[in-house]
Amino acid sequence: MNAFLAVLEKDLRLAWRDRAGWLTAAAFAAISILTYSFAFDLATSDVRPLLPGVLWTTFLFAGVFAAGAGFQREGEEGTFDALLLSPVSPTAIFLGKLAATLAALVVIEFALLIAATILFDEPLLTPELVAIVMLGTAGYASLTTLLGTLGSGHRARAVLLPVMALPLLVPMLIAAVRATGETLGLFGGDAPWVLLLGVFAAWSTLTAALLFPLAVER
Amino acid sequence: MNLARRVYALRWVALPPLTGAGVLAMLVGAVVAAPRELVEGDVQRLMYIHVPSAQAMYLAFGVVFVASVMVLWKRDMRWDAAARGAATVGVLFTGFALVTGMLWGKPTWGVYWQWDARLTSTLVLFLVYTAYLLARAVSDPSDEQAARYSAVYAIVGFLDVPLIVMSVRWWRTLHPQPIVARLDPQLPDSMLAVLGISTLAIFLLAAWLILLRTDTERLGQRLLGLRADVDRREEA
Amino acid sequence: MDGELGYLFAGFAVFWAGLFVYLLLLQARIRHLTREVDRLEERLAEADGSGPPPAGSPR
Repeated sequence: MNAFLAVLEKDLRLAWRDRAGWLTAAAFAAISILTYSFAFDLATSDVRPLLPGVLWTTFLFAGVFAAGAGFQREGEEGTFDALLLSPVSPTAIFLGKLAATLAALVVIEFALLIAATILFDEPLLTPELVAIVMLGTAGYASLTTLLGTLGSGHRARAVLLPVMALPLLVPMLIAAVRATGETLGLFGGDAPWVLLLGVFAAWSTLTAALLFPLAVER
Repeated sequence: MNLARRVYALRWVALPPLTGAGVLAMLVGAVVAAPRELVEGDVQRLMYIHVPSAQAMYLAFGVVFVASVMVLWKRDMRWDAAARGAATVGVLFTGFALVTGMLWGKPTWGVYWQWDARLTSTLVLFLVYTAYLLARAVSDPSDEQAARYSAVYAIVGFLDVPLIVMSVRWWRTLHPQPIVARLDPQLPDSMLAVLGISTLAIFLLAAWLILLRTDTERLGQRLLGLRADVDRREEA
Repeated sequence: MDGELGYLFAGFAVFWAGLFVYLLLLQARIRHLTREVDRLEERLAEADGSGPPPAGSPR
């Protein structure tokens, strides 16, 4: 537990020092929403069903983008290898990194939700929606952290990260958009989307946490 | 294990003629022997390629999964060669499934693509395969780190397959479906028989191609090893 | 009815052509690799047999 907290603290501190990278991801997300607004004229009410999709594609792209850029630095500096050689358990390393990434992503998403609430005059900060966002983020953050961390240090891999991550995230994207739409009363659905979202989050975190130590064994 | 080894050694003797015979039987069955479907006409005969190809795709995925687990467990690069071999063949059959699905769909639905559950999840799996091969392509075939990274990706991808298929199916059943060329379990026996033969034929084909491709990858690995040896020797 | 036979034909053609092309490419790759492996094995044998090649040797 101590190791986990230590790694978490290290990663949070790193994230703060590298806040330019995270701020860029946030800016990218904001610009995406604006781009969607212009492209689809989201102010008119008959385009409102697009809102959940807009939100989640923005979250996903920002998250994958941030994961790719964020892990570059640590890989290049070689500090990651040093960490792996230390007696800290790889699982703690992974979970620490995941927790820090989640914290940063949640901050960005909250900012986005506030912006979207204002722009689209849609109450987006309800507890159900927040819960869905957190669940969905847990789902995609664990996979992007796994793939990003393992691929760090190789320049081509950073560009490849969205290509690798997004197909795997299809279930989470479908479930998150439908669940969000349901909560906003935009479209109904008979399928238990929130359950699927939860299953995906649990599965992805567990799988990533189990595979990470196996993959970094040197 | 001696029996298994002996069978494996005989693979080049047994597989090519068996595969050839199987594929021939499949063609005869699909084009001539199988009855003509009442609603969709002769285009429905594409089912005998489409369905087995999709199943071969899952089979190849399974092989990639097992090989990837072995890469992480045994740290033997020979399993990486097998994973890459199976992935390449998997992409091939996924492509067949997609194209025959579209060509079957156009006269049946009126459009090439209907976002139906099976074709859509096949497309997602095609993207996963492609991402895997791209990840291997940007790195050296002898790079063990890259092999482990790709193995992790393949394992996650394989475990994700049921989630992908499920979520896409749920997503699509909420939308009004056209009269889809669904695989009717009430298929007449004659069609089922031809389908069975076709599936066997395509599985044999997939197995043969996977073995062939894996051997090729091993040859490539051996080449890299030799190059390193030669460089070392000639520098001395 | 004729139109749909066209799709049927196209489907089988894609299958055949795809397999054919794949096998051709695979064969070419095997040939190339085998040639390279033989070449390198020769060099290795020479390097072992006669010691390091003298400077300015044709290879």
